[in-house]
Amino acid sequence: MFNASFKKLTTSLLALAAFALITQGCTKKVSDTDTTLNIVVRANIKGLDPVRANDLYSSMAIANIFESLLQYNYLKRPFTLEPSLAESMPVASADGLTHTFKIKKGVKFQDNAAFKDGKGRELTAQDFIYSWKRLADPKTASEGFWIFDGKIKGMAEWIEAMKAGKATYDTPIEGLTAPDANTLVIKLTGPYYQLYDVLAMPFSAVVPKEAVDKYGQEFLNNPVGTGPFMLKSAGDWVRNSKMTLVKNPTWRGQAFPTEGEATDKANGFLEDAGKPLPFAEKVVFTELVEDTPRWQNAVKGNFDYVEIPNDVFDKAIDPADRTKLSKELTDKGMKLSITTSPDVTYTGFNMKDPILGKSKELRQAMSLAQDGATLIAKFYNGRGIVAQGPIPPGFPSYDANFKNPYSTHDIAKAKALLAKAGYPEGKGLPEFTLDTLADSKARQQAEFFVQNQAAIGIKVRISANTWPQFQEKIKTGKVQLFGIAWNADYPDPQNFFQLFYSKNMSPGPNDSSFSNAEFDKLYEQSLKMAPGDARNAVYQKMRDVVVEEAPWIFGAHRLGYRAIHGWVHNMKWNDIQNDFPKYIRIDAKQRAELSKKL
Amino acid sequence: MLSYIVRRTLYMIPILIGITLLTFLIFNVLGGDVAGRLAGRHATPEQVASIKHELGLDKSIPEQYINYLHQIATFDYGRSWSTKQEVSTMLSEGVTPTLSMTIPPFLASIVFCIGLALFAVYLRGTIFDKGIVVTCLGLMSISSLVYILALQYFFAYHLGAFPISGWDPSFSGRWQYLVLPWIILFVLTLGPNILVYRSVITDEAFQDYVRTARAKGVASSRVYMKHILKNAMIPIITIIVIDMPFLITGSVLIENFFGIPGLGGMVVKALNESDFPTIKALTVVTSIAYMFFNLLSDVLYSVVDPRIKLG
Amino acid sequence: MAATSNATMTAAVPTTASHAKMRNSLWWDAFRRLKKNKVAVASFFVICVYVLIALGAKLGLLFPDVAIGSPSMQYLPWSWEHPFGTDVLGRDVLARAVHGTATALSVGLISSGISLVIGLTLGALAGYYGKWVDGLIVWLYTTIDSIPYILLIPALTFVLGRGLINVYIAVGVTSWVTLCRLIRGEFMKHKDRDYVMAAKVIGASDVRKIFRHILPNVTHLAFVQFGLGFVAAIKIEVILSYLGLGVDPSTPSWGIMLDDSKLELSRPFWGNLAAATIFMFGLILSFNLFNDALRDSLDPKLKNK
Repeated sequence: MFNASFKKLTTSLLALAAFALITQGCTKKVSDTDTTLNIVVRANIKGLDPVRANDLYSSMAIANIFESLLQYNYLKRPFTLEPSLAESMPVASADGLTHTFKIKKGVKFQDNAAFKDGKGRELTAQDFIYSWKRLADPKTASEGFWIFDGKIKGMAEWIEAMKAGKATYDTPIEGLTAPDANTLVIKLTGPYYQLYDVLAMPFSAVVPKEAVDKYGQEFLNNPVGTGPFMLKSAGDWVRNSKMTLVKNPTWRGQAFPTEGEATDKANGFLEDAGKPLPFAEKVVFTELVEDTPRWQNAVKGNFDYVEIPNDVFDKAIDPADRTKLSKELTDKGMKLSITTSPDVTYTGFNMKDPILGKSKELRQAMSLAQDGATLIAKFYNGRGIVAQGPIPPGFPSYDANFKNPYSTHDIAKAKALLAKAGYPEGKGLPEFTLDTLADSKARQQAEFFVQNQAAIGIKVRISANTWPQFQEKIKTGKVQLFGIAWNADYPDPQNFFQLFYSKNMSPGPNDSSFSNAEFDKLYEQSLKMAPGDARNAVYQKMRDVVVEEAPWIFGAHRLGYRAIHGWVHNMKWNDIQNDFPKYIRIDAKQRAELSKKL
Repeated sequence: MLSYIVRRTLYMIPILIGITLLTFLIFNVLGGDVAGRLAGRHATPEQVASIKHELGLDKSIPEQYINYLHQIATFDYGRSWSTKQEVSTMLSEGVTPTLSMTIPPFLASIVFCIGLALFAVYLRGTIFDKGIVVTCLGLMSISSLVYILALQYFFAYHLGAFPISGWDPSFSGRWQYLVLPWIILFVLTLGPNILVYRSVITDEAFQDYVRTARAKGVASSRVYMKHILKNAMIPIITIIVIDMPFLITGSVLIENFFGIPGLGGMVVKALNESDFPTIKALTVVTSIAYMFFNLLSDVLYSVVDPRIKLG
Repeated sequence: MAATSNATMTAAVPTTASHAKMRNSLWWDAFRRLKKNKVAVASFFVICVYVLIALGAKLGLLFPDVAIGSPSMQYLPWSWEHPFGTDVLGRDVLARAVHGTATALSVGLISSGISLVIGLTLGALAGYYGKWVDGLIVWLYTTIDSIPYILLIPALTFVLGRGLINVYIAVGVTSWVTLCRLIRGEFMKHKDRDYVMAAKVIGASDVRKIFRHILPNVTHLAFVQFGLGFVAAIKIEVILSYLGLGVDPSTPSWGIMLDDSKLELSRPFWGNLAAATIFMFGLILSFNLFNDALRDSLDPKLKNK
């Protein structure tokens, strides 16, 4: 019996190997007319409703289907806003409190059964008012409502009335009016210079009432927007696996930008200047959690670009020139794109902690104990720069020459400060708890933090959490130290500084519960200032306060390394624009040619 | 027979109550500030209160339990806190990929392992038997990651014989993605299955009647095929039933590495995101399914061995 | 349905009044047989080595500097100084595996201890008293048994929170069912036997009858079951840590080492995987072989084999 089974097993294994060898010869045929853009994402796309666009990959898909009033110019840096659904840039009143938008004429919603005859209706200014009321509606419980919270005249009152059941969507909001079908007037409660930025975020995208009424909660699986791509049928999205978006035939149209940064021409980003968008017939998002198969698939050409995972990094990069891909990948026609992420990683102190919150010297000492350069070298393969403050490179007011005196690795100075704080060699300090996420990478970095602090005699233990548990602990102040990162919502340093404003303490975003009168004064002053050098000077003063008080130990501004196939054109990666697929051109012939080598 | 089945089925009612009580206790009573977590980090107390009201969490515990039973009966588990998708839809979408992946190797492994186990018992105590035990334990000690990475790299990436990962919901399109997961799952189940079958067959092989049969001069192979295997069927069925939840939870790692959108990956995502409704639904649904498997196995016993009637 | 898994282990039980002597001779016989079994002696020796390693690690005699390392020594290949190389933080992998032994053994010991206590107590109560007590306990374990442990344990740790103690509890309170079933069956058999009746005549209390008279006759079952539970608990700890639900990350554990290896294999760095696998293999193998031998030696039916 055993022999028979064993024979069967060996026979079948041999057969499998033979099958593998035979099929090896015939590589799959790649079509030379197919212009599909294949994107791989590392976490699942949750849903396609703009009011739920609060995670990276859902926002990415949403930004292709839905549009907002404004968008960022694809090529210009620093980021420059330009009209999207708006006809032109809005007109602001002298006091900066009233903003009048003209909306593009003839824009149609995507064809959908929600409309009469299944044909998309024309967009009007009322649609924006409806969409934003939906965002503000307490029943929606959107995590994106902060973009308007307390900013628009009459909105707070409307929300109160909604809660009390005394208002409907027909009840007007004083600050949101549409004098005619193509004019939208926003009245603010006070100066809000970030208004235009948030009007480029997917949260503020416009949705048609008919579709929301028809699909209800299921709108997130039946999206209807005005964007360049659409989910043609609900079956095109196999959840947790693959989503196929196709070109929207009734899209308003847009031309590829004709001007950009000085280096854009040399980098080939202006080859398609003035050509109509989008280039791709289809955009396919594939969800794949694990690094290894994601990378292997991308190298085989199944995905058009991929972020290089940590553990293949050394093999993927040219050892002599770390700004180039290895010879093996270059030979396959792949290119490397390096970009600065608009983020900062940090370890926050709970400023309400009776020990950590009381002693500036202790916090500074702990900051000096952190070996940021090694952290980046060993945990990010050198893909990052040591953060000197909250503001990442490329943002207004960022100063490359600024050095944070506590962001260096200096054990002697740390020990001196620790002694000054009254805890020589860590004596008299209890064991602190560092809260972190439970995934392997976060855990390893936390262990590194523990190692660093042990060098100056400070004991730290790690507590691992799921993301919701972690958030809950931070919110209720049940943390001492917490390792986290902030990704910018829009390219204005205010987005980072709000995290230190005392009035934003929990439930607001000030997770450290930092409270400093001088900082608050500067922050309030900056809110009333128009973008420009004067405001940047104030931002730098705010940075100085934060650096000196050290409510955070700054970690890194991360760098994104992406390997891009030779057939992908116009890929000027950045982490702010989620609507980039419409600008990407896939050269199908080139893909068919290069695929033979993979 | 029929009355036995009826009685056995009625016995499921208290068990069903037990399962719902236990899961209710874990999730609704011990679960902590559910509404606070759902509302998110930046919610005001009012928002939390309104969510509490919406979820019925401001009601008394018995009332909440009744609601909970109602949910289960109507297969309405609400929406995932993480994705806002309907939990029942998520579950039904995840079942097909998981079962397509797990059933074939599950069945193949049962047949193969019983065969090998019979052989090992036949040669009990010999070097061959010991070799099988050590090999099985060795196979079990190697992390499934090694099998996954090695096979995926060699067959899919290096030889290109199979897709590296992916899924096709159509019936005919999905199989090419499943061959490697099948092989891995088959190898993974070898160790534990052979060991456990070997153990139950050993117990049967040293019963008195076997010795009697041998003494009477019945050929060894006949004793094995006819008597031992037949009598070992009851513990074997039990073991198969015990292993059945595996069909549903599948293998998390394999799903993640091969991009198969099944329930295993859903379990991990739900755990990582504290997605209560999804975890709750998964637990309740698999438990109830398992309860039915148990019923099935008990009915099978009474078929295999007519002496068992009392339950 | 309780008739099923008991079938895996049935022992001949003495029925005469001189049961105490018989009981001793059962254990004595078993011990004699075990001693002769080379595999059993060897695996017992290996288990002892593991215990010593764990004690040595806990007492700070072995690799006291387990937590020390520096990232400049990240992922060193194997050498005499670091037989399994060094991990992401430059720590000696062997040292982590050794300290992981202590974690594994403590999880095995405490969790199967918890399940032993629950299983014995409830099994004895159910078997001895019968009636509604039995009904209630059978209902309880059938319920727990109906929820797949792969979901029940994560759900429990999820609610209780992370950490070693919660792993003990979660594994302990979910794994007593098999033992409870066995003990219940044995108690049902024994409570009407002559020697129990005799004890009753001389006025022994229930407690005395349960603990002094019947329990010693069924401890061998508990013994074998404890061994099986031990191995299962170790494996579950590994899975839980791997899912990020297990022990506190500062505690060295084989599960955490395996979790780390997921990020390292394509590098390739095999140290964590190899060390955790080898350590686990040795422990589980010797535990299984010893348990097998113990079972055989306690089961007189296999005596002549």
